[in-house]
Amino acid sequence: MKRSELARAATAEAIVERVAEQGAQLPRQDQGHDHGHGMPMESTREATYYGHHIVIRTTYHIEVDGTPIEGHLGVTNDGQVHYHAVPNLSFASAVDLVKQLIDTFPEDFEAGTDPHGHGQGS
Amino acid sequence: MAAVRRNILTDETARKNYVQGVKLLKQEQLGPTTADLGIPGPPVQVSTYDLFVAWHHLAMDTFTPPTQSDRNAAHRGPVFLPWHRFMLVLLELQLQRVLNDADVGLPYWDWAADGELDPDEQPASPVWADDGMGGQGSPITSGPFAFDAADPASWRVRVAANVQGQLRATNRGLRRAFGQSVQTLPTQADVAAALELSDYDAPPWSTQSDGFRNRVEGWRPLESAPGLHNRVHVWVGGDMLPSSSPNDPVFYLNHCNEDRIWTAWQERHPTSLYLPDQNAPQELQGHRIDDAMHSLLTNPVTPRQMLDPSDFYTYDTLAVS
Repeated sequence: MKRSELARAATAEAIVERVAEQGAQLPRQDQGHDHGHGMPMESTREATYYGHHIVIRTTYHIEVDGTPIEGHLGVTNDGQVHYHAVPNLSFASAVDLVKQLIDTFPEDFEAGTDPHGHGQGS
Repeated sequence: MAAVRRNILTDETARKNYVQGVKLLKQEQLGPTTADLGIPGPPVQVSTYDLFVAWHHLAMDTFTPPTQSDRNAAHRGPVFLPWHRFMLVLLELQLQRVLNDADVGLPYWDWAADGELDPDEQPASPVWADDGMGGQGSPITSGPFAFDAADPASWRVRVAANVQGQLRATNRGLRRAFGQSVQTLPTQADVAAALELSDYDAPPWSTQSDGFRNRVEGWRPLESAPGLHNRVHVWVGGDMLPSSSPNDPVFYLNHCNEDRIWTAWQERHPTSLYLPDQNAPQELQGHRIDDAMHSLLTNPVTPRQMLDPSDFYTYDTLAVS
């Protein structure tokens, strides 16, 4: 690709216009996931073995101090658990994953914090 | 003339240009608000820099295909390297615009060189000095991105992911916590081992694949993961951990070095093609060579269009290990 070609298309105004176009289509960040508040997180693994189709659905209900954790959690076929909010890590244990969440998002676990992140931070 | 991307530790001009450029982009507010990004609460203007933070998060929030939760539109699959090359090129074009200098190139941080230091010495690398990227803390209090509550012009995180994996508006200083979850940076031997791999990627086209992309992204070898790119995010910690990790300007230094490693690999394996090709199943849409990538632009850009970046930039050296 030529620099001139992309530079013409990548003006600040074009980026702003694109954001405006897409804005209405974006999920509100408090409604964007396909499970509601308090709903479990389900991960589906699939594999084929000697012509047999394997499907494993794993359901997680995670709470910290009674507050549900509701982001995207997945399990890969090697058994590693990963979570959308800490995208560079995977864990052999979901407990270790949640410990990492507590370390990474301290304000979400402070007393009186809205667990779903509604409204402005400080 | 293509920009030349240089080592931030050996090129003072590259460092100064980068710091000045990202600060200008952080201050530039051209209209979009948090409401345009689907963030609840009173609308707050977001800067051009913060649009890139949101883009990274939204690409990560786009699963490919949506029926699974491993591969997304920018990570955990083949498109990881071309998507980030595209993101860096777009940011570089914005830096060139605000600095009014088409020759400005992103700098890279050769983290594998710091990975050769003793673990105790790695947090003291010159990259974290006051005249580098500043140090660690919550918030960081040194260097060009230090937080000063009394100074509205000091570097502030305005859009960040929360524990539920959603973006929220905030107003706080940048956080780093070196070596908390992993004690050491990747080494030159780690980079050399990745360069030996001759296949770009392989089935199942995910975090479980053997191949160069998955090694550079950092999911394999499993016994030493996180590796390379992932390991740098995790070692720096703080705001480099969530999906809003471009909040830390070190994000771009990491990805620029990773792109340099990819460029070195391309030179070493000239007959190794990007995979998967366009005949791959529909379930790999978003990762095939001619698929449109998740973009901040209306015009589609594909992985194929990012395979040769020589019209945009070159590197001062491809000695990566």
